[in-house]
Amino acid sequence: MSTTVWVPRDAGALALGAEAVAKRIASEAKAAGADVKVRRNGSRGLYWLEPLVEVETAGGRVAYGPVTEADVKGLVAAGLFSGGAHALALGPVERHPWLASQQRLTFARAGRIDPLDLGAYRASGGYRGLARALEIGAEATVAEVLESGLRGRGGAAFPTGIKWQTVLRQPPGRKYVTCNADEGDSGTFSDRMLMEGDPFSLIEGMTIAGVAVGATRGYIYLRVEYPHAAAVLKEAIAAARAAGCLGPDVLGSGKAFELEVRLGAGAYICGEETSMLESLEGRRGEIRVRPPLPAEKGLFGAPTIVNNVITLATVPTILADGAAAYKEFGQARSRGTIPLQLAGNVRRGGLVERAFGLTIRELLEDYGGGTMSGRPARAVQIGGPLGAYVPASQFDLPLEYEALAAAGAMLGHGGVVVFDDTVNMLDMARYAMEFCAIESCGKCTPCRIGSTRGAEALAAIGRGEDRERHIGLVEELCDTMIQASLCGLGGMTPFPVQSALKHFPEDFGLRTRGG
Amino acid sequence: MYSIDYRDLGTPPAASDEPVTLEIDGATVTVPAGTSVMRAAALADTRIPKLCATDSLKSFGSCRLCLVEIEGRKGFPASCTTIVAPGMKVRTDSPRIRQLRRGVVELYVSDHPLDCDDCPANGHCELQDAAEVTGITHSRWSPGATQRGQTPDVSNPYFDFNPDLCIVCSRCVRACDETQGTLALTIEGRGFHSRVAASERQPFLVSECVSCGACVEACPTAALTEKSLAQLGQPTEAVTTTCGYCGVGCSLNAEVKQETVVRMVPNRNGAANQGHACVKGRFAWGYATHKDRVTKPMIREKITDPWREVSWEEAIDHAAREFRRIQQKHGRHSIGGITSSRCTNEETYLVQKLVRAAMQTNNVDTCARVCHSPTGYGLKHTLGESAGTQAFTSVQKADVIVVIGANPTDGHPVFGSQLKRRLRQGAKLIVIDPRAIDLVRSPHVEAAQHLQLRPGTNVAVINALAHVIVTEGLAKEDYALARCEPKSWQDWKAFISDPRHSPEATEAVTGVPAARVRDAARTYAGAPNGAIYYGLGVTEHSQGTTMVMGIANLAMATGNLGREGVGVNPLRGQNNVQGSCDMGSFPHELPGYRHVSDPAVRSAFEAAWNVSLLDEPGLRIPNMFEAALDGSFRGLYIQGEDILQSDPNTNHVSAALAAMECVVVQDIFLVETARFAHVFLPGSSFLEKDGTFTNAERRISRVRKVMEPLAGYADWEITMLLSRALGYPMDYSHPSEIMDEIARLTPTFTGVTYEKLDRLGSIQWPCNDAAPDGTPTMHVGEFVRGKGKFYRTEYVPTEERSTSRYPLLLTTGRVLYQYNVGTQTRRTKNIAWKPEDVLEIHPDDAEARGIRDGDLVGVASRAGEIVVRAALTRRIARGVVYTTFHFPESGVNLVTTENSDWATNCPEYKVTAVEVVKVTQPDAWRDRVRTQRAARHGASAHAG
Amino acid sequence: MNVQLLVKMANDISNFFAAEPDEKAAVDLVANHLKKFWEPRMREQIRGYVAGGGAGLSSIALQAVKRLA
Repeated sequence: MSTTVWVPRDAGALALGAEAVAKRIASEAKAAGADVKVRRNGSRGLYWLEPLVEVETAGGRVAYGPVTEADVKGLVAAGLFSGGAHALALGPVERHPWLASQQRLTFARAGRIDPLDLGAYRASGGYRGLARALEIGAEATVAEVLESGLRGRGGAAFPTGIKWQTVLRQPPGRKYVTCNADEGDSGTFSDRMLMEGDPFSLIEGMTIAGVAVGATRGYIYLRVEYPHAAAVLKEAIAAARAAGCLGPDVLGSGKAFELEVRLGAGAYICGEETSMLESLEGRRGEIRVRPPLPAEKGLFGAPTIVNNVITLATVPTILADGAAAYKEFGQARSRGTIPLQLAGNVRRGGLVERAFGLTIRELLEDYGGGTMSGRPARAVQIGGPLGAYVPASQFDLPLEYEALAAAGAMLGHGGVVVFDDTVNMLDMARYAMEFCAIESCGKCTPCRIGSTRGAEALAAIGRGEDRERHIGLVEELCDTMIQASLCGLGGMTPFPVQSALKHFPEDFGLRTRGG
Repeated sequence: MYSIDYRDLGTPPAASDEPVTLEIDGATVTVPAGTSVMRAAALADTRIPKLCATDSLKSFGSCRLCLVEIEGRKGFPASCTTIVAPGMKVRTDSPRIRQLRRGVVELYVSDHPLDCDDCPANGHCELQDAAEVTGITHSRWSPGATQRGQTPDVSNPYFDFNPDLCIVCSRCVRACDETQGTLALTIEGRGFHSRVAASERQPFLVSECVSCGACVEACPTAALTEKSLAQLGQPTEAVTTTCGYCGVGCSLNAEVKQETVVRMVPNRNGAANQGHACVKGRFAWGYATHKDRVTKPMIREKITDPWREVSWEEAIDHAAREFRRIQQKHGRHSIGGITSSRCTNEETYLVQKLVRAAMQTNNVDTCARVCHSPTGYGLKHTLGESAGTQAFTSVQKADVIVVIGANPTDGHPVFGSQLKRRLRQGAKLIVIDPRAIDLVRSPHVEAAQHLQLRPGTNVAVINALAHVIVTEGLAKEDYALARCEPKSWQDWKAFISDPRHSPEATEAVTGVPAARVRDAARTYAGAPNGAIYYGLGVTEHSQGTTMVMGIANLAMATGNLGREGVGVNPLRGQNNVQGSCDMGSFPHELPGYRHVSDPAVRSAFEAAWNVSLLDEPGLRIPNMFEAALDGSFRGLYIQGEDILQSDPNTNHVSAALAAMECVVVQDIFLVETARFAHVFLPGSSFLEKDGTFTNAERRISRVRKVMEPLAGYADWEITMLLSRALGYPMDYSHPSEIMDEIARLTPTFTGVTYEKLDRLGSIQWPCNDAAPDGTPTMHVGEFVRGKGKFYRTEYVPTEERSTSRYPLLLTTGRVLYQYNVGTQTRRTKNIAWKPEDVLEIHPDDAEARGIRDGDLVGVASRAGEIVVRAALTRRIARGVVYTTFHFPESGVNLVTTENSDWATNCPEYKVTAVEVVKVTQPDAWRDRVRTQRAARHGASAHAG
Repeated sequence: MNVQLLVKMANDISNFFAAEPDEKAAVDLVANHLKKFWEPRMREQIRGYVAGGGAGLSSIALQAVKRLA
């Protein structure tokens, strides 16, 4: 009987040598005369263990990792194909505490199946959600999403159901579903992992959205830096179309939905929804003034859903299992689960999908296992480069929208980047301004000129020039940028700066700070 | 830099009429729904600081200076992008708002020069204003990154781009997109390094920029500035006047410093141009003070004699004496006059009055003879009035736009921009033209159908379109029956249904695939609003009038007349060609298109003019030439028209002119025709007089004097002098008195006065008791002639057809940068773009003749021969060649023939059978023109 | 004037009105056109030409010229 060995095709695993490992396993198996089938899956998100090789055994899938090409020979010799013992052996993968303690709804399939195996997708509950949506109709589908409490996972946390309802309420005519897959926040990778590991869930989610609001065309706006995701998505879309899950007659419903992948050109700002729409239309990625909202006048002037990958990929499970089941997870106004992405100076980085409410400390210590350097963690930055720095003193904050907002921080897209006590927070503040200066679209003045002046002033502070005056200017600038910027890039860049100043004044050469 | 009489409301007006009441700084304000908070405040005289907003462009929200506080709303919304709501309470000023505005202005100032005193926009700069309002005098930011130090782009002959002064507000880019529709400008780079670029970072001159000046007009600083501003200094007053180029009739503000025009800027309140202009009107006015201007009257006995400068008295007396002598010897009908479509209504009115009353003949004609005379005849007979049916703004409500034989983006650029705006909003376009004009395919514009017909087959195509509409049941039968003569409708329906008019039957003649004609017919007939715009490609044919009638038939049959968004719209060529026709310039009719044989009309004029008038039509221009050749016509008074260059078959015209005994040319330059003149009376440009022009939408607009006539007299005064010398004194002290007389005598002008023109800005005739403010849309409810009349429009092929000797068909047109025979534009820096006429030829036809791009080629017809440079292009079909007639040295009208429209004798410029051969030498004509010009320049240099 | 040109002009006019189903009406329309738009000398000349036979004129044009008073 043939043995199946799984080696991830996820970009993270590939970067760590998964391709060579897969080839080597095949060649070693051949050499050993073993009947082995090497299959490719997505990543399960245990990135410190990638490449994570799994072997199907009578006792389930057992894992080995991190496996290098050089390890393969020894592993085979140790009985890899029958789940033999080895220093890299991790035991049954689903019982690994890091995974077993998670609550994977959106990422339920990631790492488990071949991402392009539509049969496996359907066998594991795929397209149940779309079938139900088609059955209950547009209004009820939107109501279900509204009821689930799902909020935009891209960062803005706007209730998805309300957005859909707005599009549904627009007069019939051309409408669009667009997926924002321009995942540009530092330290984030959930979109990529999902697209590479379970593309059909995104495709199904978008199809449900189309059915729910009467849109017949969708676009996935994917960042060009994700070539593997692009390849997987294109293949998955073709497979879905071939199987009648996309196209003129979705699942025999008579409803049409077409899907297309469009690549960005490397601009962070195109992750902002209106810039994304401009870019999709073939224009310079520049902010549009709202109103009108994209839900009213979006792509090519038509009502448009703009949702993040995770938001859309979560929709099938909500429809399949019902809003009530999803709502069970989470707390207060943060319902469901959130795929947190742990990165930076941390021992065990990766994807942690949990119901809202896990504390920073739990994430950092229970999952992360502390810093990679072994030194005390000094701060985390949550929600990407525009997120506030949270000092160690606030690590007991729950990872949940309102609680973080109350503390002047934000959850954003769920990226958590860890810094140890060697970090210089003035440098981090300057970095925030520099990031903004590089990524600014150039439309509004506070962002276009302000970020450059801010970075210059922070550099001057670092050189010890006229510190008080420059700090005063930076504080005024932060106010101007927050209040006057056209979009979140300029409007939120001050958050890391202000939080650094507030929590770590000593790094700015200040003894104490009032207020 | 903004204008001296600048008042910018920040954002465009809202379309709605529904009132919304809100509170701004405690004051109650009521504005139309959809108005921005910024505009609402401005209407209440509260100026909110702004930089990226201007009321000619959609709000953009980028400068972040116009932030306000709104009760119940978070943060500080931008007032330009926030729409008013009932009961909204807005604060436009507070310490917090001031603080934020200061922060923003200080960022601007951190990378902008502060030496305002040396800046050409000093005192008229919006950044300077913003700094003053916020109290920012300098930047506290330490010197850092800068965009300054870039090389200014001075390539455009009229304006400079100085990136150092640019605040990246995108107003220029948006103006290029929204106002002009060329999309030549962009912001390149990102963030701090964003900068304005033309095309792909090319110099403006060689980029896609068409130099319309919309970007310059939109610039809030001096980043984009007219060169003249730096050279002449800031203007001290603005005079609103009307452009002297094409029939769009843009309202312009001449900004003047001591009688010198510093710059010409579009009037944002101009009803025709809506704040836009083109490279000609906005920039190419330098000819008015060109050194070639003749400012002294001149006479000579024989045309071979040198000119002799004389006093006005002597010149006028000489002309009058000669005219009287000729009349005494050869009869009173041996002389005549030509009115100028470049002159004002009042001036053309006086010339026809002089001919009819002082010369006692009806031998008066005008240059409309050679352009839109078929429009007058065709529309008068079908609809009842010799003019277009709509206002330009009507195009904004059209769903399908048909452009026939017109090239608006070159010939009528400001209307072209308005049309493109509508196309970008989704209206469909059908182009019927032998040439792929820019509208067929250019950025963000593509014609749904291009019917690329063979020159001379217009009527076959329009009949085929009508055939499809009638036989496929697409006609609006109810409309036709209710609004038109039922018998003519039934008769025409039967006529047009005949299979000989079907697209399939006519395909072989027209060259247009039948399926395409059917598609176009369905598209037009299926439109809620279908509008037809046409140009000289319709009229300048042996069947020009038939085609105009065919167009009117089509519009009547589909119910596309009598409301906004539809209509039959001639794009008239010259600034006042509509007016010169209105003013009775044709030999058969008195002002207001009333035939001289009508005793009631005649007696009204006889009473007013105190003369008896003839009841028989006079000679048309081509008849005058014929009569001159047989000796029965010997004297001609020509007001501002270069007939030798603009009329067809030049050799024939020059022979006719040479046969005359007294040719009086009244013009601003020694034009080609002056070679045959005995008297030269130096005229005045549109900047040197008061009066009115009437544009293609029947809009009467004021022309206002910005400088004294260089030769001492405005044209109307010269005509008065001549009339007095002829023994028929006219006595007007101001053109307004002439208009008063026109209004008294012309029913469609009854309500027109200068006072009303000042008050309303402009008036579209008919303006009378029934329509005191004028008539934007004609034929509402009822046609002017009562019931519309369908005419049978049989296609009769022109006799001009390709033969083995002359296998190609030559057709003619214009380019954006030159105007007509180029008398004016050739004397401006527009020459930078278009230094000569070229012959467009299909690469296959060129290859068969061994012609390469840029080769000199000879073009021969049965009438004559010219030499021009070839330009290979696929814009035209095989078998067709195309050129322009802007330059005398190419002498295109040497090859055009005497063929003309059956009804009006409008020449058939658009079809001439020719052969094209490669040559190595310029021809004699070209040499002569060049030599002569050099001599003239030498002479004037000597004289100066 | 060159009478051949007048002949051509008259023929051009009659070509248009020839589309009228009723030839008499067409003749009237051509005659009317000549009366309204042709200078008397031109009408005189073509009448003289017709008096001499009117060779080259279309039938309608010929009749119309004859109709001129």
